[in-house]
Amino acid sequence: MILFDFDYERADTLEQAVALLARLQGDARALAGGTDLLPGMRMENIRPGLLVSLSGIEPEAPQVLADGSIRIDALTRLATLENSELVRRVVPMLAQSAHVVGGNQIRQMGTLGGNLCQEVRCLHLDQKHDYQFVAPCYKRGGTCCYPFPRNAPEVCWSVYMSDIAPALIALNAQVEILGETGTRRIDVEALFTGNGLKPLALSQAELLRAVLIPAAAPGFTWGFHKSTVRGGLEFGMAVLAVALQLAEDGRTCTDARIVVGAVREGPVRPVAAERSLIGKTLDEERMEQAAADTSRVVNPLPHHGFSKRHLMDNIRVHLRRTLARALQRARDQEAGR
Amino acid sequence: MHETGVVMLDVSKGKDVRVGAVAGAQSRTRLISLCVNGEWHEVAVKPRIMLVEVIRDTIGLTGTKASCESGICGACTVLIEGRPVLACITLAVECDGKQIRTVEGLAEGEKLSVVQEAFLDQGAVQCGFCTPGMLMSATALLERNPKPTRQDINKALEGNLCRCTGYNAIVDAVLQASGQENVKPVMK
Repeated sequence: MILFDFDYERADTLEQAVALLARLQGDARALAGGTDLLPGMRMENIRPGLLVSLSGIEPEAPQVLADGSIRIDALTRLATLENSELVRRVVPMLAQSAHVVGGNQIRQMGTLGGNLCQEVRCLHLDQKHDYQFVAPCYKRGGTCCYPFPRNAPEVCWSVYMSDIAPALIALNAQVEILGETGTRRIDVEALFTGNGLKPLALSQAELLRAVLIPAAAPGFTWGFHKSTVRGGLEFGMAVLAVALQLAEDGRTCTDARIVVGAVREGPVRPVAAERSLIGKTLDEERMEQAAADTSRVVNPLPHHGFSKRHLMDNIRVHLRRTLARALQRARDQEAGR
Repeated sequence: MHETGVVMLDVSKGKDVRVGAVAGAQSRTRLISLCVNGEWHEVAVKPRIMLVEVIRDTIGLTGTKASCESGICGACTVLIEGRPVLACITLAVECDGKQIRTVEGLAEGEKLSVVQEAFLDQGAVQCGFCTPGMLMSATALLERNPKPTRQDINKALEGNLCRCTGYNAIVDAVLQASGQENVKPVMK
């Protein structure tokens, strides 16, 4: 049971849901899978007066468009994503990133859009306020950040934990956002503000409608790794997503996108490290250097009890391995052809 | 057949209900119908009532356990339309008109299901609190994938925590239930 009273409406279309959200001016929240929203409401971090349920809206099946890009409905369940033959064939990195989210039951309930719109996390924030015996923190509208008391005013150092967002950013994906005035399309990267108090660049009455992933060119290869303690049912220490474009020789990198997730208020792209790979032959030394550079610039927030030092080492080691695996994947594909 | 009656689930027990963000507003109570293990139940619920509370407190099927109540442990796993989901973070109003299976629906009368028999045989139960959730996850896995590998089973059961550390016996039990050769029955 949730300890406060709220009302519930079921929307038949996404447009109807947006109209309801707009009418309630921030007092309403959209409910998709509920695996993030409902625990948050149980802890009373989020106290909406109305839930607009999207469960009556059937998601469209993933489809490949004429230009080769793939369009995936934001209401697609994560279990559908990881098991979809089409998604596994066309965008294996997305299927892999959906496969490592939470546990099986979470993937059966959670949706793609919900995963992207999840709330940032912090061990202090994610408990019932009644047990805290201190004034509320910034995120709850208070005047202090308890885990980081020397933070600048109104700065919330909580961490955005999505496993799928890094993969989508590496794939250069876009999201289609439905608002009151119509649909707009932005890069997934632009969805994140980097501000823990308002991590998403969405207004109260906007909903994700679909994710669009461009077609992969020949020579594309990828690596994805979620670094965890147990290997299941947990948030990542760091989530590494790498997309490389290789020249015909299979060793020279013509484009690189590296994304590190679960370490800051949004996924981070180490642009300098990406540039250091472009136009170069990928060997162990260069990949190790890029991983070390990334680990230095990402500046991870200590989260879930891991120290900054530990997280930096974690990023360095796992990014090096992820890059190596991406290169190995390209070689295996070449050999298998 | 049980008779289908309207049951009011009023958690406030006549006291003042704490009202949420809408000052003075009262949420509407809704009448929903659930088909639990083949029997239709009509239940009147507030939107804030979770499915696990309806199953345990209103319908009275206490096999489904409520443990962490925040979607972490998997003890409350039930099958909605064949999919294993967490009843503690599912609103009851979301399940209107849905087919739900709980652990009570596995056995047919006195005859246990294959998965339940395998759990017994392998001694895959210690305190038993996680078992209903484990059984439902395992049943859903075997319905989708009748011959899972050890890795498939690990992945399917990753959302179910067991604090008695009985995972090996549990995975063996699921393998045994799937009729694969590589597990020896312990007691049979």
